[in-house]
Parts: sequence; C-alpha cells; structure tokens
Amino acid sequence: MRKTLIAGIAAGAFIAAAAALPASAAEGDAQLSVLHAVPGVTVDVYVNGALTLDDFTPGTLAGPLPLPAGTYSVAITASDAADASAPVIGPVDLPLAANGNYTAVAHLDASGNPTATLFTNDTATLAAGEGRLTVRHVAAAPAVDVLAGGSPVITNLANPGESVLTLPAGTVSASVAATGTTDPVIGPADVDVAEGTNTIVYAWGSLADGNLALAVQTIGGLHSNPGGVPAGNAGLVATNQPGDSTGLLVGGALALLLAALAITAVRSRALAKVER
Amino acid sequence: MLLITGCGAAADAPATPTPAGVARSATPTATPAPTPSATGAPTGPAASGVPLTDASLGAHPAEPVVQPARVQVPSLGIDVTVSPEGVDATGALALSDDPAIASWYRYGPTPWSTAGTAVIAAHVDSFDYGVGQFALLLDAPVGTEIVTTSVDGRVARFSVQEVSMIDKTGVDWNAVFDRSGPHRLALITCGGEFNYDTGHYLSNVIVTAVPIA
Repeated sequence: MRKTLIAGIAAGAFIAAAAALPASAAEGDAQLSVLHAVPGVTVDVYVNGALTLDDFTPGTLAGPLPLPAGTYSVAITASDAADASAPVIGPVDLPLAANGNYTAVAHLDASGNPTATLFTNDTATLAAGEGRLTVRHVAAAPAVDVLAGGSPVITNLANPGESVLTLPAGTVSASVAATGTTDPVIGPADVDVAEGTNTIVYAWGSLADGNLALAVQTIGGLHSNPGGVPAGNAGLVATNQPGDSTGLLVGGALALLLAALAITAVRSRALAKVER
Repeated sequence: MLLITGCGAAADAPATPTPAGVARSATPTATPAPTPSATGAPTGPAASGVPLTDASLGAHPAEPVVQPARVQVPSLGIDVTVSPEGVDATGALALSDDPAIASWYRYGPTPWSTAGTAVIAAHVDSFDYGVGQFALLLDAPVGTEIVTTSVDGRVARFSVQEVSMIDKTGVDWNAVFDRSGPHRLALITCGGEFNYDTGHYLSNVIVTAVPIA
C-alpha cells in the first residue's frame, strides 16, 4: 500500500533555477540546494510554476543556486506530469533570507509519507584545523543515535531533525543505530570531515524497506588560518643582544653596574695595597 | 550567519555574472510548454544550468593530497625534511622543535597545487639544536631556486621573488595562508630582534617564491 503511494508520489526538490529564475550571483543572494531523498521515484520539480528540475532522481543533489531573498513556491510532481497542477509534494513555500544557505530536502517522514523539509546550513567560519559535521535524519525510521568509533556522539535524533558537531578535521567512522542501541542500521562508514567545511550527512530511505543510506553534501570555504608562525626560541640569530632587550634593560644595567662596582672594589684594594 | 566571502569564494561562485536586481522577476516563463505527446521525457531547457551531483557517500572521494617531504635551497645549502602539520593549542602553525624538520600547513595548498600559497616553516633556532638552516633564508637573493620534493618523489621548483622581515604583529596571516590566489610557495622562519623575556623573536622572515615553469 505504502509502496504504491510512494511510487505514484514523488519526491524531489525545490530549486528556483534556470528557467524560472536567472542564476545570478548578486550580493545578498541566498544559496539553495535541493536533495532528492525519497527512494524509488523520479520526479519533476516546479518553482513558481516553471519546470526547474526535470527527471530528478533519488540520491541526487542539485545546486547550490544563488537566489534573491524571497519566498518561492515549489511543487513536486511525478516525472510524467504535464504541469504542476497535481503535485505529490507541495506546493510548499520556501522563505529564503538574504545571505542564507539552505538545503530543501524531499524525503520520507518517520512513518514513510513523502514530505519536504527546508534546512538552514551553518556556514559560520571554523577555527583553523576544524571541520563541521551536520547530521540530518530524513529517513522513514524511528529516532536514532549516531556513533563515531562505536561511541554515541549524537543521541535521540528524530526525523526531520539535525545535530551539528565541530570536530578536528579528519575521517570519522560513523554508524547509525536505533536510539539507545549500538547495533548499526547504517554503516559503519567512513565520513571525511574536511577542514574548513560543513559536511552534511543525511540518513535517508526507509528502515522497513531496507534501503536506508547516507547522502552527503559539503559546503567548503569556511576555514580560517593559523594565527602565527612562532619559529624560533633561542635568540641565537637575534639582531639585538640580551642587554638591548627592553624587558631586560633594567636587569642588564644592574648587572653592568654590579660588575663595575666589583672592578672598582678590586682596584681600590689593589691601590690600597700599593699605598701601603 | 556568514556568507562565504573572501578567499573562500572561488568554490561557491561559478557565477554567470548577471546584472544584480533582475533576478526577482519570478513570473513563470512560457518555456515548459507541455506538449501532450511528451509523456515520459519532457525536454525543457529548465534543468540546464542547475548543477547536479551524486550525493552518495563516497561518490566524491577527496583528491589525494601530494604531501611535500623535503625542501632544498641548493645555493644556500638548505636541506630539510617536511612534516604535515596543523595548528598548535594557540592556533599558530604547529612546529617541530628541531629546525631541520619543517612544517607544511596541511590544510592549505601544496607545492603541487594550482592555486594558493603552500606554506612551509621551520624554527630559526632552538636551545637543543642550535641555529637552524632556515636562518640562511634571510640572505636569499631574488631568483634563488627552491626545490620541493613530494612523498612520492615528485619535484616542484620555485624561484624566490621576495624576502621580507615583518614585525609579527603586522603580518596578514590570511594573505600568507591564501588558498585561492596565484600559486606560491612561502618559506617562513623567525628573525630580527629577540625578546629575551618571552623567548620569542619579534619578526617573521617570509620568503615568497613563484613556480618555475
């Protein structure tokens, strides 16, 4: 029953693109990506009534497209639809703010019905050496835990929720298990958490249908740089001598003074001897 | 919320430049004119221009990074090994105490990249090891050849374009570690006056070199 529904249904995406809107990259534009995460169906996507993504297949990411801020109406139809009049998802309104970075996901809800969710992507700058890992639950499955190296790092993540982690850049061996358990329903799989990048991992598909999978989207260019290069600590090639250093000026002068006094004292004694 | 700007922009703006402000004319165009016969394969121009990628995990494995293993400046007798490093606890480039082991900033460009600056730095001196080879960089004439060799034996050659000594408080590190501009190699060490209280030099010596074709 549900399969029939899904098959007739369709998933897809929402992109306000090409035909519908000029793909200009103006100052203040929002960035919109679209992920098709409904298994088994190819769809068409209409934006503001215009066919924008034709024969969009599951597991495909479209975009990012720069779009002026505003609200876009998106309808997703079966791939053989003649127009947007009989959408299987939507029409839904996507409010996009200036400079925002978004991913619209066509997916299944926890009980397997097609739906759509607009996520806002975190594009804040990362510290040098760090990466961001965003995990989104868009699968027909109960709440899950995400395990890294076998230990839970995200717990009780439910459809259509997300969790965001900041990690040292590197590869994470990730798996997904029903919340409170450690027996993977997805993975373990290696996920590259690249430096200066938001790596967004989607758990999608259907637990009941046995087609759970991971999809990945990356947003780069969020890096920052080392703040310095402290490349010496002995002063062996310094252009100044210890006595020249501002910090040691007082101490150095004092040492010189003491040395001078000592010499004077010796001289005095010597002179005294001579005089005797 | 930050928009990706500055040195990160290149990856995000494949941009077909279009006059700003025209974009909001979102009225449905006549293009997808449904043809009654076209049941399964509507061939609208619609999808053109929308980048599509396979989002499967592992569909786009990161390109293998060509790591530098050695830097030589033959005319100065410099020959150091290179280790890939990130940042230390203070956010500065992590450096070996041994001036004969240079650090390459592993998250930035490599000597084999096509853009941006590959940064390789080494201590100018150390209490345990004495004066380091990079101390010689300060006197490198313009045009001095620098030879970098990768872990897998590739060679990239550079020519010194500029040697500068800059007060550490005045270094634009974002420019030094640039990832998207013209391809460069930067060799960095310390120099100038030394603060005998803090144990740090007050300046960095930065050698900027351009690729030799």
